[in-house]
Amino acid sequence: MTLQATDLSALRKWIRQRQSAHRERGATATNVYFAVLFVAIVGGMLHKQLAVIFWPSHPNASELAGLALLATGVGGLFLALRRLGPLGLSRPAASFLLTAPVSRRRLLAPSLRLATLAAALAGALFGLAITGHVAYRPMPGGLAAALLIGSALAGIVIMLLALATQAARVWAPWADRLAGLVLAAGLAGFVLDSAVHARRAGTDWPIATAGIAAGILAVLVVALMTVSVIRLGRTPNERILESAQTAGTLLDSAFGVEPSFVADMIERRYWATRRLRSARLWPRVPPLVAQDLLLALRRPRRLLWTAGSTALPALLAHFPSWVLGAAVLLGGMYAAGASTANVRTDAANPVLLRLLGLDSRQAVSERIWVPGVLATIWSTAALGILQALGDLPSGQWWALGLVLGPVGATAAIRKARVGFVRNDTLAFDTQMGVSISPGPLFKVIFGPDALLLGLPTLLQIAQGHPLTWTLVVVQAVVGGFGARAYIAGTTGHDRVELNNNY
Amino acid sequence: MDGLYVGYGSTPVLVDVSLRVPAGAGVCVTGENGIGKSTLLRCVSSLQRPDQGTIKIFGKPAGSTPEFWRQVVTTVEPPTWYAGLTAREHAELVCRAHGIDPEEAGVDEALERLGLGGHTDAIPPSLSSGQKQRLTLALTLLRPSSLLILDEPEQRLDPEGRATVAEMLAEYVTSGGSLLIASHDDAFAAASGAEITNMETLAAAGES
Repeated sequence: MTLQATDLSALRKWIRQRQSAHRERGATATNVYFAVLFVAIVGGMLHKQLAVIFWPSHPNASELAGLALLATGVGGLFLALRRLGPLGLSRPAASFLLTAPVSRRRLLAPSLRLATLAAALAGALFGLAITGHVAYRPMPGGLAAALLIGSALAGIVIMLLALATQAARVWAPWADRLAGLVLAAGLAGFVLDSAVHARRAGTDWPIATAGIAAGILAVLVVALMTVSVIRLGRTPNERILESAQTAGTLLDSAFGVEPSFVADMIERRYWATRRLRSARLWPRVPPLVAQDLLLALRRPRRLLWTAGSTALPALLAHFPSWVLGAAVLLGGMYAAGASTANVRTDAANPVLLRLLGLDSRQAVSERIWVPGVLATIWSTAALGILQALGDLPSGQWWALGLVLGPVGATAAIRKARVGFVRNDTLAFDTQMGVSISPGPLFKVIFGPDALLLGLPTLLQIAQGHPLTWTLVVVQAVVGGFGARAYIAGTTGHDRVELNNNY
Repeated sequence: MDGLYVGYGSTPVLVDVSLRVPAGAGVCVTGENGIGKSTLLRCVSSLQRPDQGTIKIFGKPAGSTPEFWRQVVTTVEPPTWYAGLTAREHAELVCRAHGIDPEEAGVDEALERLGLGGHTDAIPPSLSSGQKQRLTLALTLLRPSSLLILDEPEQRLDPEGRATVAEMLAEYVTSGGSLLIASHDDAFAAASGAEITNMETLAAAGES
């Protein structure tokens, strides 16, 4: 028996008609109106900030910084597209249409068009930012056009490469690793640029070369797109289902204003691909500390990224000094956050803590150790690098890092204990007539607010005074007592639950 | 428990339900779907507050304190797993948290007995639903406790697995533990050493 392929466009039209029958009259027009209004309002509010990001009044970065931004953009865009698919279907389409006798190529074509458009836009924005920050002014119109068109085409090439990787089974992990390396090289380039006085762009950018490069990219796009469309039907089902799940989770995350859905999905996928061998938990170490340690050691790449990120505060050396101080404290919190996955699990559902028979005080007292060590090492290294680069006044700043561990760990643990965003809290009205639920706001604030324990460090860096040993002692006392007070105030021997109540 | 009332909205689920589980004995609650077996177990586990009635565990009101959870183990809630931890490591962690040496507690033997010997290095989410059920029961039985509250422990298990679990539960009761289970399988309940009680009888007992 031969199956005839169903007319997909007729099927989609039928689905759209059924869906619109359930909507209120004019609902789509209302949604479009509010979307346009939102973009107009936000654009109006932030146009100055956007101009600073994409087209500052004067070029303010070196060619090295431009190259670093290029590498960051290429690596980052590839990895982002890989995380999203780039080819995907909605969850209902994956359930009903993927298994139906419809043309696979036609089924996936709208997704390819959307991915192409998004990648071109992202590429063009990166190109605009690089040109705006690095290129000389005034720039010939031909050169600007070639750079902008070339950037958009480069974005499409990256998307098509990500698409080929999506269909590949063998070399996909290697491509991701390579993209990660390109991204890391870009970030390293920024750090190097902040340490040396790299060359600013001259007026010798050749228009012809830019035009030829854009032409080559155009030919490449046509060739790769042709191959991609021909092979579109051969995209493995499991990859499409995976990206359908991603798209669904992203939508859930957006509707529920709950970023942890995405974080959980990434975490689950990571462990699903790992092959583990059972280890023995160190008997002399408290069990939850041993578990956290084991988990941290099982993610060496994350530790490597965390180690590499110690150089990032150096990028902010030329910003107001309070920004640098805040970055050091926030960095300590995020480094500690590399080992708070188990706290998130317990805060979301205490079923395992009940099984372990532990109270909340025992749990947090043990869970804070590994984040504390990570925050200590990160802060010491970050301040040591800033000291070595001469970005801080005189003093042994690395020693201050040694006492910042409790601050980062407390903030990271508090952040992990927030749990899901609560949308049932009383909304407040803004002057623009829009009601805002404070739930997402609390989710953002809870955690970083504990960085107030690092106020002595923040003030010292902000004021630009030389570091004294007295301040190191003050910070050690504030951080240590603050962490103890946090544990004493938010946990108890009479309760199991870890989640913060707000 | 005595005179338990629970309703969901305007629908009453438990009406004047009374039940006594003697210490060191087992009771299995049976009944059709939706009759309130799981609700009853959730109330006893203090995971749901009844509208009316009293529940006492070992002579004290049911609570959700750490002390309560050191005595009581339940599988009423869907299982959760720690990320990046294998099946064996979960079992070891449970033992270590209770101050027991995993080797002495017989972690490997328990996993082997429940048919998980070849899956000790797997992360629990990658196991089949039946294997997850076996692992949950292994963790439940490995740690010290005085009362087990299990909701359909035979669910998703093959006949061999059912027999093994029933045998382990019978050993638990024989060693002095108390058992309260909900089940649809009378043979399994009997093999577990639990006395079978129908939910309808419990409501009638409350009324009389």
